[in-house]
Amino acid sequence: MADERVVVAFDQHSPDYKAGFPEIGHPMRSKCPVAWSEENGGYWVVTGRELIGQLAKRPDLLSNDHDPTGKRRGYRGITIPAPEGRTTRGGFLEMDPPEQLEYRRVLNPFLSPAAIERWRPMVSELSEACLDEVVESGELDFVDDLANVVPAVLTMGLLGLPLLDWVHYCEPAHATVYTPPQSPDYPRVIDLSIQMAFRLAGELERVKADPRPGMVGALVEAQRADPETFNDEDLVGTLLLLIGGGFDTTTALTSHALHWLDTRPGERRRLLEEPGLLDTATEEFVRFATPAQGGGRTITTDCEVGGHRFGAGDRVWMAYGLANHDPDAFFDPDEIVLDRFPNRHAAFGLGVHRCIGSNLARMSFKTMVVEALRRVPDYRVRQDGVVRYEDIGTINGYRHLPASFTPGRRQGPPLDEVIGRWQRTLDGEQA
Amino acid sequence: MRVRVDPDVCQGHTLCALAAPEVFLLREEDGHSYVVGEEVPPSMEEAVRKAVATCPEGAISIEG
Ligand code: SF4
Repeated sequence: MADERVVVAFDQHSPDYKAGFPEIGHPMRSKCPVAWSEENGGYWVVTGRELIGQLAKRPDLLSNDHDPTGKRRGYRGITIPAPEGRTTRGGFLEMDPPEQLEYRRVLNPFLSPAAIERWRPMVSELSEACLDEVVESGELDFVDDLANVVPAVLTMGLLGLPLLDWVHYCEPAHATVYTPPQSPDYPRVIDLSIQMAFRLAGELERVKADPRPGMVGALVEAQRADPETFNDEDLVGTLLLLIGGGFDTTTALTSHALHWLDTRPGERRRLLEEPGLLDTATEEFVRFATPAQGGGRTITTDCEVGGHRFGAGDRVWMAYGLANHDPDAFFDPDEIVLDRFPNRHAAFGLGVHRCIGSNLARMSFKTMVVEALRRVPDYRVRQDGVVRYEDIGTINGYRHLPASFTPGRRQGPPLDEVIGRWQRTLDGEQA
Repeated sequence: MRVRVDPDVCQGHTLCALAAPEVFLLREEDGHSYVVGEEVPPSMEEAVRKAVATCPEGAISIEG
């Protein structure tokens, strides 16, 4: 059936995609829920919500494996195109079951809804402190001053790394995502990301010598029991993955929501006042913006899924962002409907690779948004200063979202003091 | 009405618990869902139907 395939001119990293998202998916999808693009070496683009769900449930047919050194089948992982010059894979997101499940089993207990609740007080205090830092000035950048900070410090806490170290990871975590290879800044960003990997390898050694609670500690413990599955290289890959997932996606989500709310004071009030609305609205912002726009897969064997044929070795991009705007699955798909429910969005991915941190993301998103709406209730975005990611094909993010508001009064201690206090609390719990 | 969550299909999206918190509980270890009891009280049937419709994995089934 290869000759019957629908061929489209499509590249999620292109300016057209950024300018056209989400409408760009409609003409493609109406021809076929999976189309072929010749860009990036040739790949299938899945835009239909039904089909994406069917495919995601077949980890036997779709592989996430990344094997840059050709030890296994030479598959190219979850980024299309695969990054050049890499010799390691991106943690358990670039593994298949059962290996991948081993990692998730170790990390899941840190990310269940019950486990996340423990962190809520810290997230509230951090959000308050971030806003305190700027509230007297009447100006802020929601990205630099709030949404970059809170998820980053929280991720440090979950990993069991020093909270104040978030600053070392912040720029590389975001810049590696938003800087395209053709940018003049690219070599510097690659350098930063190498330094980040070295720093994490150093942390790993420190925790091996001096066990600590937290995700790093749990991975080190798993390594003792099974040094092959939990080898150093994949542990560093996993830490990079957790930092990327923890730092960048929630930032993107929070920025989208605060930008959308800019011109909607009535909706701001409703979110604070109507019980339950924040829960459905959170899912709706996640659906609409889909921070992680999609993921690459490799077909393991000639197969047919949902009436569509795929060949062994074919590359597939699961376009979660576009599938989340499929009119067959969502009424008015390009509108934000705060009380939309049911909402079967695929923004956290589907199947065995579903986002492991979704509960964390929801909690920190809600806390930051509520705190922003309370502390700077009349903010207006300075549109001329808004900068979105140059390439949104990986993460649909913002680099800057500046706003002005009526200045208020500081209510608590400086941010670093709050972080320091939480560090002592966490250390105390461990002693 | 009786309700079941297929543990092999559930991936812990937690949306069922948002729809019907009285019926679906989330496991402490991994956030995956299980039901309090298979028999659904009539007052909760509507909420359970919503949960079925919102589960992104199609992990929840009802009978009767
Ligand atoms: S919504 Fe579905 S996948 Fe999510 S926890 Fe409930 S049953 Fe599991």
